Amino acid sequence: MMSNQEQSVKKIMIIGVPNTGKSLIFSNLTGKFTEVANSPLTTTQIKIAPLVIGDQQYDVFDTPGLHSFYIHSEEEILVRRALFSEKPDIIIQCIDANRLKQSLGLTSDLLTLDLPLVICLNAIDETARKGMWIDSVALSRLLGVPVIESMALQAKGTNELKTAILRARTGKCVISYGDIIEDGLFQLVSKLPSDIEYRRTIALLMLMNDSHIDLDVAEQLGDAVLADLKSEIVKIKQHFRGNVILAIENPHNRWINHIYERVVKKQKLPPAQAAQTIAGLCRHPIWGLPILFLVIYILYFLVVNVANVISELMSSFIWNPVQKVINDIFPIGFWHDMLIGDYGVLSLGIANALLTVLPILGVFFLLFNTLEEVGYIPNLSVLTKRLLAKFGLSGGAIMPLVLGFGCKTMATLTTKILRSDRERYIAIFLIAFAIPCAPQIGLSMSILGRMGVGAFVIAFSVRAVIGITSGLILNLILKEEEEKFVFIQELPDMKWPSPRLVLRKTYYRLYWFLRESLMVFLYSALALFLLQKFGILEAMKHALRPVIEGFLGLPLAMVDVIILCFARSEAGAGLIINLIQKGQLDYKQCIIAVIITTTFAPCFANIIAMIKEVGGKRAAAMLCTITLSAFSIAGALNWTIGKLL
Amino acid sequence: MANNWHTKEEYLERLWEMKEKGQVSVHDLEEAMASDFDRKFIEELSMEGLVVFTDEERNIALSVDGESQARRIIRAHRIGERLLFDVFGEEFEKGACEFEHTKTVELVDGICTLLGHPRNCPHGTPIPEGDCCLRLAKTTNNAVIPLIEMAIGESTRVAYIESRDDHRMHRLNGLQIRPGVVIRLHQRYPCYVVECEGGNIALDDDIAASIRVWSNQSHYQPRQKHLKTNQNVRNRWREFLRIGHRSG
Repeated sequence: MMSNQEQSVKKIMIIGVPNTGKSLIFSNLTGKFTEVANSPLTTTQIKIAPLVIGDQQYDVFDTPGLHSFYIHSEEEILVRRALFSEKPDIIIQCIDANRLKQSLGLTSDLLTLDLPLVICLNAIDETARKGMWIDSVALSRLLGVPVIESMALQAKGTNELKTAILRARTGKCVISYGDIIEDGLFQLVSKLPSDIEYRRTIALLMLMNDSHIDLDVAEQLGDAVLADLKSEIVKIKQHFRGNVILAIENPHNRWINHIYERVVKKQKLPPAQAAQTIAGLCRHPIWGLPILFLVIYILYFLVVNVANVISELMSSFIWNPVQKVINDIFPIGFWHDMLIGDYGVLSLGIANALLTVLPILGVFFLLFNTLEEVGYIPNLSVLTKRLLAKFGLSGGAIMPLVLGFGCKTMATLTTKILRSDRERYIAIFLIAFAIPCAPQIGLSMSILGRMGVGAFVIAFSVRAVIGITSGLILNLILKEEEEKFVFIQELPDMKWPSPRLVLRKTYYRLYWFLRESLMVFLYSALALFLLQKFGILEAMKHALRPVIEGFLGLPLAMVDVIILCFARSEAGAGLIINLIQKGQLDYKQCIIAVIITTTFAPCFANIIAMIKEVGGKRAAAMLCTITLSAFSIAGALNWTIGKLL
Repeated sequence: MANNWHTKEEYLERLWEMKEKGQVSVHDLEEAMASDFDRKFIEELSMEGLVVFTDEERNIALSVDGESQARRIIRAHRIGERLLFDVFGEEFEKGACEFEHTKTVELVDGICTLLGHPRNCPHGTPIPEGDCCLRLAKTTNNAVIPLIEMAIGESTRVAYIESRDDHRMHRLNGLQIRPGVVIRLHQRYPCYVVECEGGNIALDDDIAASIRVWSNQSHYQPRQKHLKTNQNVRNRWREFLRIGHRSG
């Protein structure tokens, strides 16, 4: 028995309501870093990593947020299905100690599965500041499972969690729903095959008319069983004249209150919270806008005055000596051109990535990650609510769009939460076309900053106008659907960023950037080099001359940039910086170059995400529209700004 | 004799519910009344002109008179449920069953006005409108007001959620927004932000309007949207600019 247990790998599943630190716990336990932020919707897919405690091997699953077994959105289905089909050996429920009540409903659901459970009370340090005291020993006694206190942000409590995993037990939560419903549940359970797990939970969800459990039951047991169960449910509902959901919810609520009252002591008057006031200011209709502009200005200021300087220092201290050495070895000819020529593998590939793009992204990510950790970004969803409603986007689409400023690919994947197809198309299109992602913002700031604040203001205003106009147009074109997604959005508390976490996140983002794109930089430089050697590049430039020079008013060298952008927009941005340094782009051209390179093609990962969400055909149609509109807008801009400047 | 009248009212009530479900046959009525079913009562109701038979006495419906009586009973029953549910949180069916037989319309309208003219009973079925609802009477002080009429920074308890959407109710319940909990309004523009059990939540206007709360003010003054007196404008601006929270 023992040896058998030792051989098998046990499954640990981390479950919790949104923004309770599941991914932090996952990363603290396994040492594997995943995307974390002080915001809901950060994790959209299940991730798995190994863990060894003693000589037992575990697979740890990190999951997106789940409010309760009764499903409200697509990514919740993903978690519930995983939970029901994977049958984890141990569940860790992450709870934000400051919002204990919101998590206890899920606890009551998890306890009914009769699986060993560990409860991890996260952010326990913040409760004291809020005049709250949680008796975790009493909580453990009441639930019958180990409860540990943790500060995941500071990576404290990880060892306690590991020992608690060894002590994980099935807890107790006896909730009765009254005779009629209990009898009904009994009938339903007896109709389910006995080898099915969690029969009572499944019966309960069916009785609550959960939108997805029927599909799962039909798929597993066939339509006949489903029809049989359905007719039984109709009978139960006829017999029970009241609202079944309320009849099931109320005992849960009583249970939650019962536990909460025995576990939490609160100060009569909660202390004043500066964080609340600041959060209030950030999403205020009047004070919120200056704060937003200030935040953007600080980003801009630091990118231009710190990142650009670092980047230039690195070129003069690292690149110039290297260039000199190579010049000495290969004074002229094929190898000189291939390594450090205009399309050199080292100059356009490595130096562009490491010396031009990396420092800018480094500084920008440091700032952006701080904003994410503070919890500023979700508050923007409140500020932009009215504006987005004009685009035909109800509240649900706001978070994905706001998340698009971080990473478009992630944001595209979160559009799953939107129930109407129409809204999903609008949101996905806007994310791909109108919203610049973090690296694009950082690099655009760096490029435009070289021309002065004016260029930055013009380019970003134009982008804002493009975004708003395309939103309005899409809203007119796409047909109205009747179902509207209601806007109920939890906002995270603002808090001081943890420098350790910000540094760690920045490190990983840069590491991921290099891992994904260093080779792409290199290969695209090589491709350009070969195109040029064989004279194809010249021919392309000649063919594109009317568009690039005539219509867009850009130098022909921009063809290189556009080709690079197809591979990786950061590489294109790096080359633009290079062109500015050589004096080949002026004020107006710089603005147009930024507009075109940040709008005409989303990155490869984003295209994949688009195909996944809307299908290949629609994604292709969207991409064509995006490219055409990007070029026409840039052209129009050339003719209008040209007159104004 | 009073008991006899009570039973007849039960029949009218069942018939109203059948109409809501789109049922018409005598057989359905028989099933709804179960063991209490007695054909003599529907004969009596027919003689009093409160119900009419159609399709060779297989189908039954309320007459115009019957409908107006049933409406009064259903209204009293569901208003009673609403009151008991909002005050005690549960076990509302029994008290309401006695209350529905009241003949005093003013009593029912009074409670209706106090509760801010609820449209649905706790089970989610519609409450027929009374004269007071049509007038939107605010002559007395409504004890229950929509969340959107609260002052910024004010905290109060939730009375009930005016919604027939189970899914939405469940979502709000999960966020701890439910009858009895303390809720604080932080912000009105650009969208509603409330705080409940330590969590901040942003809400659509119509969801915020569907949350009904107990009013703190002893002399409730409805927000005057159309009157732009100087004082009113000044107050609106003051509220608009305020961000902090005031202890409730």
